[in-house]
Amino acid sequence: MNNEITEIKNAGCYVGLTHDLLNLNDVVNRVRSPQAGAIVMFAGTTRDNFGGKPVKELQYSAYNPLALRTMLSICEDIHAKYGLISIAMVHRLGTVPIGEESILIAVSAPHRQAAWRAGEQALEDCKERVEVWKKEEFEGEDGVWRANRDGAAGQKVSEAQSTLDQ
Amino acid sequence: MGAVPKPPEGHFSVLYFASASSFTSKESETLPAPLPLRKLFDTLEEKYNGIRDKILNSCLVTINLNYVDVPEPDDESSQAVIKEGDEVAIIPPVSSG
Repeated sequence: MNNEITEIKNAGCYVGLTHDLLNLNDVVNRVRSPQAGAIVMFAGTTRDNFGGKPVKELQYSAYNPLALRTMLSICEDIHAKYGLISIAMVHRLGTVPIGEESILIAVSAPHRQAAWRAGEQALEDCKERVEVWKKEEFEGEDGVWRANRDGAAGQKVSEAQSTLDQ
Repeated sequence: MGAVPKPPEGHFSVLYFASASSFTSKESETLPAPLPLRKLFDTLEEKYNGIRDKILNSCLVTINLNYVDVPEPDDESSQAVIKEGDEVAIIPPVSSG
């Protein structure tokens, strides 16, 4: 849909959703800065099995406007908490073949320690909160919607937030 | 899913994602408004037998992109109402990354 919002930028934060192949250089270039002493990039890739069972491909869907809003909120919090120069988070949607990237997160900071930690927290917060869903497609049977908190009931955002603070 | 068409007069839209979409075989539909929020799950259970236990009990709900607490069906003190034109979404446990 042409009127669909697929990215938001704000004060050192970039978040995006795309159906296209993710480009590692593009995401790193979004956070590149003369003030940076470190850029850390995380690439999440699609695995060929779930608990040993062969996975054919993965399908991602999203509630785009809410997912982007949550991604931006996560990035803004982490940007402030770790004193980052810049942070970028892009998630791929639709069919993602095995071995390709489904998410890229890049952060830049004056020094490496903050960049490492911020990158890790950004991914954990994303997996916990962002309104994107993964379906694993198996050979010869129905796909399965995965939950990052498998077995756990849904949680109110306020509770989820207090869990993150622990 | 992105921009959803405005619901017709006297209706709100409800969006289904992931397991909720599989269960209803729909991505969205429109229902008559206004509807007390505490009656949302009953209304959906009437249309989709079993959806409460299998899906809704582990889901969160948003109205116009804001998370809301869904009151118990017998909580008559609750004043929350889904209004005409609202965009309601059923949010199953997420699985990004």
